Amino acid sequence: MSNMITMTINGKICQCEAGCSILQAAAINGLEIPSLCNDASVKAYGACGMCAVEVLDNGSGKPLPKLLRACSAKAVNGYVVRYDTDRVNQARKIALELLMSDHIGDCVAPCSLTCPAGTDCQGYVKQIAQGDYHKAMEIVKEKLPLPASIGRVCPHPCEKQCRRGLVEAPISIAQLKAFAADRDLECDTYRAQCAPESGKRVAVVGGGPAGLTAAYFLRRKGHAVTVLDAAQKMGGMLRYGIPAYRLPKPVLDREIEEIAATGVVLQNGVRLGEDITLEQLRSDYDAVILAVGAWQSMQMGCTGEDLEGVIGGITFLHDISSGEGTRPDLRGKSVAVCGGGNTAMDACRSAVRCGAENVYVIYRRTREEMPADPVEIAESMEEGALYKYLTNPAEILGENGKVKAVKLQVMELGEPDASGRRSPVPVAGKFEVLPVDMVIMAIGQKLFPEGLSGIALTRKGTIAADEATFATNLENVFAIGDATNRGADIAIAAIGEANRCADVVDSALRGAMQPVKQPFLSKRVVTAEMLADRLKIARCQMPTRDAAVRRHDFEEVNLGLTEETARAEAKRCLECGCHDYADCKLIRYANQQEIHPERLAGQKRAAEMERKLECIERNSGKCILCGLCVRVCEEEAKQGILGLVGRGFTTVIRPEFREAATIAVCKECRKCVSLCPTGALKLLEF
Amino acid sequence: MSYRVVVGQGSCGIAAGAAKVYDVLADALSQSDVTLHIAGCIGMCWLEPIVDIYCDDALAMRLVKMNAEAAKAVADACKAGDLSALVPYAITEEDAAFLSQQTRIVLRNCGIIDPESLESALQAGAYTALSKVLSAEDGMSPEAVIACIKESGLAGRGGAGFPTWFKWNAARQSAGEEKYLICNADEGDPGAFMDRAVIESDPHALIEGMLIGAYAIGAKEAVVYVRAEYPLAIKRLNAAIEQARQAGFVGQNIMGSGFSCEFRVKAGAGAFVCGEETALIESLEGKRGMPRLKPPFPAAAGYWQQPSNINNVETFANVAWIINHGGAAFAAMGTERSKGTKVFALTGKIKRGGLVEIPMGKTLRDVIFGIGGGIRDGRAFQAVQMGGPSGGCIPAALLDTVIDYQALAATGAIMGSGGMVVMDDTTCMVAMAKFFLDFTAKESCGKCVHCRIGTKRMQEILARMTEGKGEAGDIELLEELCLAVKDGALCGLGQTAPNPVLSAIRYFRPQFEAHVMEQRCPAHACTALLQYHIDADACRGCTLCAKKCPVHAISGEVKSAHVIDRSVCIRCGQCKASCKFGAIIVE
Repeated sequence: MSNMITMTINGKICQCEAGCSILQAAAINGLEIPSLCNDASVKAYGACGMCAVEVLDNGSGKPLPKLLRACSAKAVNGYVVRYDTDRVNQARKIALELLMSDHIGDCVAPCSLTCPAGTDCQGYVKQIAQGDYHKAMEIVKEKLPLPASIGRVCPHPCEKQCRRGLVEAPISIAQLKAFAADRDLECDTYRAQCAPESGKRVAVVGGGPAGLTAAYFLRRKGHAVTVLDAAQKMGGMLRYGIPAYRLPKPVLDREIEEIAATGVVLQNGVRLGEDITLEQLRSDYDAVILAVGAWQSMQMGCTGEDLEGVIGGITFLHDISSGEGTRPDLRGKSVAVCGGGNTAMDACRSAVRCGAENVYVIYRRTREEMPADPVEIAESMEEGALYKYLTNPAEILGENGKVKAVKLQVMELGEPDASGRRSPVPVAGKFEVLPVDMVIMAIGQKLFPEGLSGIALTRKGTIAADEATFATNLENVFAIGDATNRGADIAIAAIGEANRCADVVDSALRGAMQPVKQPFLSKRVVTAEMLADRLKIARCQMPTRDAAVRRHDFEEVNLGLTEETARAEAKRCLECGCHDYADCKLIRYANQQEIHPERLAGQKRAAEMERKLECIERNSGKCILCGLCVRVCEEEAKQGILGLVGRGFTTVIRPEFREAATIAVCKECRKCVSLCPTGALKLLEF
Repeated sequence: MSYRVVVGQGSCGIAAGAAKVYDVLADALSQSDVTLHIAGCIGMCWLEPIVDIYCDDALAMRLVKMNAEAAKAVADACKAGDLSALVPYAITEEDAAFLSQQTRIVLRNCGIIDPESLESALQAGAYTALSKVLSAEDGMSPEAVIACIKESGLAGRGGAGFPTWFKWNAARQSAGEEKYLICNADEGDPGAFMDRAVIESDPHALIEGMLIGAYAIGAKEAVVYVRAEYPLAIKRLNAAIEQARQAGFVGQNIMGSGFSCEFRVKAGAGAFVCGEETALIESLEGKRGMPRLKPPFPAAAGYWQQPSNINNVETFANVAWIINHGGAAFAAMGTERSKGTKVFALTGKIKRGGLVEIPMGKTLRDVIFGIGGGIRDGRAFQAVQMGGPSGGCIPAALLDTVIDYQALAATGAIMGSGGMVVMDDTTCMVAMAKFFLDFTAKESCGKCVHCRIGTKRMQEILARMTEGKGEAGDIELLEELCLAVKDGALCGLGQTAPNPVLSAIRYFRPQFEAHVMEQRCPAHACTALLQYHIDADACRGCTLCAKKCPVHAISGEVKSAHVIDRSVCIRCGQCKASCKFGAIIVE
């Protein structure tokens, strides 16, 4: 026993053989002292400074004055070592800030960063490129349980940030998602495993995208979840707000089935405040999530809005989607749709399909400023919708209590406003009268606050929910989606809130509520010049049914991508996000404490991509010079192919010029790639 | 009466024109009985080239600032046997005081003996200590040598000041057949040239000291790691080793004692970090010069993982003297805690700059104002930088600090290897700190994060300050980084790199604040922060400044006051230099 050492590390009594480093002693005893440059297969190096430890007692009651590097300091009998003291954390923090101040790379691709739900677009697009749609769905469903539906309806902010747009055009991310989801729904559909039952019960009020998503993820986390919805069927706005020609209801039904299959209980026809009260829910369940949506159309505030024939956009779409029976017959009629968003598009295109002879879109600005998806605008025009740009309803004129015409104020564009859009200004005295039979107000929705007694609302009349926890003023009651804070937004935004809320509620149900925390991520700026060498490949075109045919029915407009087209499209992805994000030790440590590398901002090394060894790509922007690749090549692989070049800040690691025989060795060995603690080294497929 | 003429031929003398002086003398004296010799460096840089005339082996005259014409006069005078014509060239009493105030042990033969002649060295007593140690009758055991060094109190002169005997003893006690003795002659501090002068001027003193060290620790191989930027030192050292080998002082069975030691010289490729002992060993082994983790220390596992001892040139150059005179004689010099003498390279804004060897215990004032004669051009002393990029600055208020390891460390500076750079009030201390960080950031080997990125970031913050782009909080951020790098860097280079910054902030914080808060450089040294304008009352409208201005920033009618357009001005200072009326104001 004389050659055994006993010491204390972070309060744990650790034993090891004499000669072990403190780092080894910790590892043997199941403790991980952070280290970037150390590995058991090579000699200690001492470069990264992560493994600093404080010796509070050197065995004879005295602390050591300096921090030690655990990778090189030997274990000594009686040492009391900690690697979580303020001093150690501060030292590690500075080291991480220094490293991150000189790190060039994107942990996560801009598409995922932009997606309000943080879906791993790059991840599933890659699986689609490889033809593995099941795996693609496994990735998608980590964030989003309704991919076939959302893939069809999402205005895809991800694509606006897609760097392929700097080359020629963004990847068709949303359509690829819908394609893969359809394929996966056909057979052997991906189903996630649920965690063991927690014994906790959660009620979700509202079965729209937010409510269903929250329910799905809470169910996966092992909780018993019931979704209550006032409507006859689940789906919320996806069912009653989005017309079937964009999202066929059987697709939505199929996805809801999948959610139900996880064990989520779905109860329709239950209206909060009528059939059940919030108080009842609070006493029957451990947590309540309000995801009631925003179902009331906003009004313009102009004269004549109370006339018969003036209808809210959402009400109009709801009537159409509720079934054949409630669908209005607009044959021979003229319809004005006020607004320039996607609801206005849905309304005008639906009005066309209901047989209306003239459908006008009344919009205050011009086509350029329209918030609606350009594809929707183009397709609505193909279907015959007429656009009245630079006009605004001044008054709705009636006869016998019914709409007869709409008086339009002619507008012109003035100075840009806070949003950057040029604000419309009325042209004094210039009006136009448009004879119509119906006016659809598609200028926004708001919460209809029924059954929410006791819930604090914002000044806008939405439910006030904490930004980081989604908590309302009532204990154990959370709120998400269109009903909350800033009001209505796109479905994927509500879904993002739902999956983050599920995390918070899960943590609360397990005893300690953890607010949502934005992870620290490395980001870089990429310009078109940097991608100038990429081969231009056109973006795929979604085939659609002919406008003359489709304008008469509510069948889906899009015909879907072929497998060949989808895979080719997916292969255009530039894979901006780091391949090593999930395993990167650097980013893991950087997220273990709060760091602010921006305060040390300065010059960064050039981010060179180099492929001298053919099978290995070396990215100096992500290299932290831990030297593991150099050492493992020398000490373990006995090759010595890699070396450090240059001095100081501009030091880089480079391979020697080598013969084909050496490159063949590298193809087999790959030890350097597996040891790299960051994404600086990447194995290339060949 | 016979004359011997000696031309100082250190690198510094040669740079000043000593080779030409020598050639002229050689030519003029070729047919005479006046003998001509070379010597190394006497250490009086501001007087080079220097020629000494010995008459019957006694120094008859020291002539300074020689040139070809003066050399002819020397030859003529010597041939004529009358030196009186040379009096105008003779060193002044004031300048001669530079030497007379020194105590020379390490530099005992420098500038006096011929560094290329073993005979000259032997006449000056070279290898007497070695023969004393190796003597068959009353020689010294290795333990006795170590005891003698211990008694002397000699500490490592490379900067760290670690007791020499302790390292020797540790290497001696280490198990291992192969042991190595290494001399660190990678003198890298900007402004330091003590070791170069010793090797160029008295290479046998180094060889002898190393032989005794090798004997003490049991090494059979000795290596001198000299930076390749010292070609003359390498040439003279190699020649001296060969002479010593021929004479039986180096090689197998030295002086018949059975002790053998081979010598070799390794030229270092110029990385500052190779002055760090473990990086030096890596370099010696043919690897990239990067520090190793310590422990193990070189005494246990150094060169080729064998027990090794590393000392610098000055340390070894003391050894023969100590053996000859006894440890006690050495220990009698200096302070309670620091013994013997220390050599300094005195440079900067000093009247008399050069090599200074003084006993420990003198004050900085003794060196700078006594030996160095104070500040040039009548300006005021501001600070002295001790220990180069690893050291710190010491302000005027602390000029009476005693020179010993502990007292200097207490000021935030270090003894260092001997660089002593004197700064007057025209030096901006922020720019000074930036200068050293430029150096260390470039010389960082790149291995550890704190040094590689930390020194770079510190340098960037300092650069910001000197460019008028400093921001509130920069001084505090700089201090935070300094402490983090000091604590976190792997080797001495990084651990000491923040010292110049920390000590500059400690003593000259108002200068940093002026740069950051007011975008003002009190020393008027940071060009980006200067504002030039013309005093309308003083300007006579002579138009000279406008003609000199390279960017045409100055305008005005003849005989009326001129104006500088600050948006065009590049702050080159040409106008100020050209104005005869002192009308250009710099703020």
